[in-house]
Amino acid sequence: MPTVTLSDALLDELVQICGEEHVFAGAAARFNRARVPSPFPVHRWDEFVPDAVVLPTSAEQISEVVKLANRERVPVVPRAGGTGLTDGAVPLRHGIMVDVKLMNRILELDLEDRTVTVQPGINMLKLSEELKPHGFIYPDNPASYPCSLVGGRIGTSGWSLIGGRYGHTRDLVISFELVLPTGEIVRVGDGGGPKVRKSSSGYQLKHLFMGHQGTLGIVTEATLELVKRPEAEFSAFYAYPSYLDAWRATGDFARSGAATLAGVVLFDEWKLAYLRRDDEAYIPQPESVKAVVALALYGNDDEVRASAKRMLRLGKASGGTYLGDEISQGDWASRHDRYATPLHGRTRDGQVVPMSWHCEDASILYSQLPAVREKWHAIAAGLRERFDMFDDWGMFAYTNGAFKPWGDYLTEIDIGIWEMQWDDESWAAWVDAKREIARVALEHGGSISACHGSCREGEVDLVPEELGGGFEVMKAVKRALDPNNVMNPGKYLLDRAYEEDAP
Amino acid sequence: MATREVGSEGGDGALTEQFVAEWRNAAYNCYSSGHKFCREVCPVMQVTRDEAHTPTAFHANVVAMEQGHLSIEDVARDYVHCTQCGACELRCPNTLFTGDFYRFRTRTVDLVKAVRALAVESGVHQPGWQRWNELTDERKNEPVLNGTPVSQEHVADWADGLGLPVGGETVLFCDCEAAFYRTSLPRAVARILQAAGVEFGLMREQWCCGGPAAEMGYVDQARRFAEHNVADWRAVGAKRILVLDPHDYISFTEDYPRFFGDDYDFEIVLVVELVAELLREGKLTLSAPVDRVATYHDACRLNKRKGIYEAPREILRAIPGLTFKDVDHVTQWSYCSGAGAGLSIERPDLTAEISRRRVERAKRLEVDTLVSACVWSERPLSEQGESQDVEVVDLMELVAQAAGLEL
Ligand SMILES: Cc1cc2nc3c(=O)[nH]c(=O)nc-3n(C[C@H](O)[C@H](O)[C@H](O)COP(=O)(O)OP(=O)(O)OC[C@H]3O[C@@H](n4cnc5c(N)ncnc54)[C@H](O)[C@@H]3O)c2cc1C
Ligand code: SF4
Repeated sequence: MPTVTLSDALLDELVQICGEEHVFAGAAARFNRARVPSPFPVHRWDEFVPDAVVLPTSAEQISEVVKLANRERVPVVPRAGGTGLTDGAVPLRHGIMVDVKLMNRILELDLEDRTVTVQPGINMLKLSEELKPHGFIYPDNPASYPCSLVGGRIGTSGWSLIGGRYGHTRDLVISFELVLPTGEIVRVGDGGGPKVRKSSSGYQLKHLFMGHQGTLGIVTEATLELVKRPEAEFSAFYAYPSYLDAWRATGDFARSGAATLAGVVLFDEWKLAYLRRDDEAYIPQPESVKAVVALALYGNDDEVRASAKRMLRLGKASGGTYLGDEISQGDWASRHDRYATPLHGRTRDGQVVPMSWHCEDASILYSQLPAVREKWHAIAAGLRERFDMFDDWGMFAYTNGAFKPWGDYLTEIDIGIWEMQWDDESWAAWVDAKREIARVALEHGGSISACHGSCREGEVDLVPEELGGGFEVMKAVKRALDPNNVMNPGKYLLDRAYEEDAP
Repeated sequence: MATREVGSEGGDGALTEQFVAEWRNAAYNCYSSGHKFCREVCPVMQVTRDEAHTPTAFHANVVAMEQGHLSIEDVARDYVHCTQCGACELRCPNTLFTGDFYRFRTRTVDLVKAVRALAVESGVHQPGWQRWNELTDERKNEPVLNGTPVSQEHVADWADGLGLPVGGETVLFCDCEAAFYRTSLPRAVARILQAAGVEFGLMREQWCCGGPAAEMGYVDQARRFAEHNVADWRAVGAKRILVLDPHDYISFTEDYPRFFGDDYDFEIVLVVELVAELLREGKLTLSAPVDRVATYHDACRLNKRKGIYEAPREILRAIPGLTFKDVDHVTQWSYCSGAGAGLSIERPDLTAEISRRRVERAKRLEVDTLVSACVWSERPLSEQGESQDVEVVDLMELVAQAAGLEL
């Protein structure tokens, strides 16, 4: 049982800052903030438990907490929705967890300059409910749309399913206020005023403070893009007899040049097999179907009509079989929820067991997709052969770039893991496999992560290799901004910034 | 609360072990997902924003108990934060998408009830609930009148002057809140049924249905009350039970069959569904205009637990003069009054805030009336309605008015 290491005096100070009802030191409050949905070593749960949890209600409170943490050299871990898949919100060194969920208000809706300013604990689905009567959406639309929160979107620099058309989190967040690792409150953005979308004044700090997994501060307020609710939506699914046919078609759709194109998704044979495990989740296709491509268009009615015609032409030319309207409306509409179905877990002999979901999210160049796919499946097969607790749930590739969705793809291999079986040996094998998966991505000129971040055990070892000299800059920035290494320590190998010979 | 506790090994180890054995597979099904799709739909979570009050935590705690990290003492208080509305179960992809295929359903409500029962059995009590159930046990009905004691002597006072017989094939079960507090509701129901020519009587001795006790974990008491009521039904020759409150409807269609198995052969009829049928068959006509602009509050136990959302709307559309501004039943998955499952006893502050938000949503539709079909929701909603200038009425009260019936 992990003992609470914070002194009573320190807890009292937290209470003075955040209020009695917003400070938790009970075991259940702490254990339930130790993990996120990615595979977790259940057998080592107590290594990741925070010492105390606070639910602050203002930037000032967070600033005070961070200053206190610096004074006492106690780690601070920011947590928003707790849905991140790279363990960003998992406390590696215990400490104080700053959970921002209670800061979930809409602060300003500016229909004229088209921005909405919110606190970091608001969820996008809830935000969109409020925007709907005004005819707007906030189109940051990850598969975790109903459960991730704005603060976590910024902390991870997330990817949106309709990012091809509307941009991803970094394109949709205009500016934000954050508490720096030493407690100062600053605002960073694209420039000047908090609502300016493009500026060349000074360093472009917005990007630096996005996707840092809570290692450079805690976002307390964000000004977001408002987008007119699209008049029309079109989606289509095509079936192909082979992966390569589907891959070529994906390229054709993505390079079509249609500005309405929100995204193209390529499902491989393994993914179809996974979805076929439950005939309700996927409208059954004949066995001859080995790969599927889905695409979606959004925009004004006249634009969508014209580009839909173009897509239908391309689809036909690619030799694909149009799968009908039912799947377009049904499957595409429920795309958020199809990811982790623990009940689809199968042991080697076909027994149904509840499995957790690991989701790889590398950025892979279009040209490299077929080769990477083969290598990744081989890694998954190796795991399954050794331990009858891993299961290959297949691959997706999604267009990745905002507004130019043709060059690289968010490439996902999903691996089911029967977590009740974890022991040190299987965990070590898993970490090795993750490192191998990441290595393949790098060998093919890609990136370890398109959106989740790459600070999980295994893959993180390759981050210095991926970033090269950039990793040295990262360390220098970290040490400069967080001299006491209190902000989410242990992530991204950043402890190296504090070693003797560090820059 | 900044109380400092570290997981203890207290409580009855054997009880916990038995509980964990029963729930571990279900718990792992959620634990393995852990994606929290259910979080924002939860009415309590929308207010507290506390991750320990989510279905994710409710399931993960079982895993943590199995691993020896948490004990019932550590977690019992968190499970107070649930109205057992069922929204999270509907929103859970494991139920939504693959449930039918695997004959699986995420059963968060049952889990919450089971943990509360484990707490009570292990001697971990919530003071408000303990007192509530003691008083109910003493008086046979819930202490809904605060200072004023309720008693068997007065359980049928609401029916004064209505000339209702005792017993018969069809018996109307009147919820405690309706019998002692919002008596306009049972009177409206009785008048409507009489007007439509439905023959029915009352019980000889109507005790609380036992549902609240079951919801708070006092399972033995719930069963004793159920046994009494069933014995009373049999004694008066009842075969068909009319139910005017959704909470009772859950007790009679879920708890009682579990207690009594095949011996339980009563037909349980929800008054709202019966009235919709009477209207359809022309046995009841509504001709007195009701000059109101109203929206309907989907009672959680009807909409989310039982899938009953059509009948109330059908009735509202049949009321002349009424302008009905509907909000669809799926949107209302995330709505609640906060009154259910004892939350209002242990956390009245949360009930009030949940109700305030519900009324605020109604207010935005520019209505003057919020219609409910759940008597338990009506007290907290009315309290909030007063300050927001929205009147809260029961659907049956409106029907009685539209049928020109005097209460
Ligand atoms: C089913 C499912 C589907 C998913 N699909 C997608 C997808 O399509 N696209 C995608 O991008 N991701 C996806 N994810 C991953 C995850 O939802 C995203 O990474 C999301 O951005 C995390 O947000 P969160 O609010 O849950 O953050 P958390 O998990 O709480 O935190 C994420 C990181 O941000 C930090 N952080 C949290 N709050 C703050 C703050 N206020 N200031 C600074 N740092 C902070 C944390 O320390 C952590 O490092 C999916 C996850 C699930 C479970
Ligand atoms: S209850 Fe369902 S939706 Fe909620 S976390 Fe568990 S599996 Fe996910």
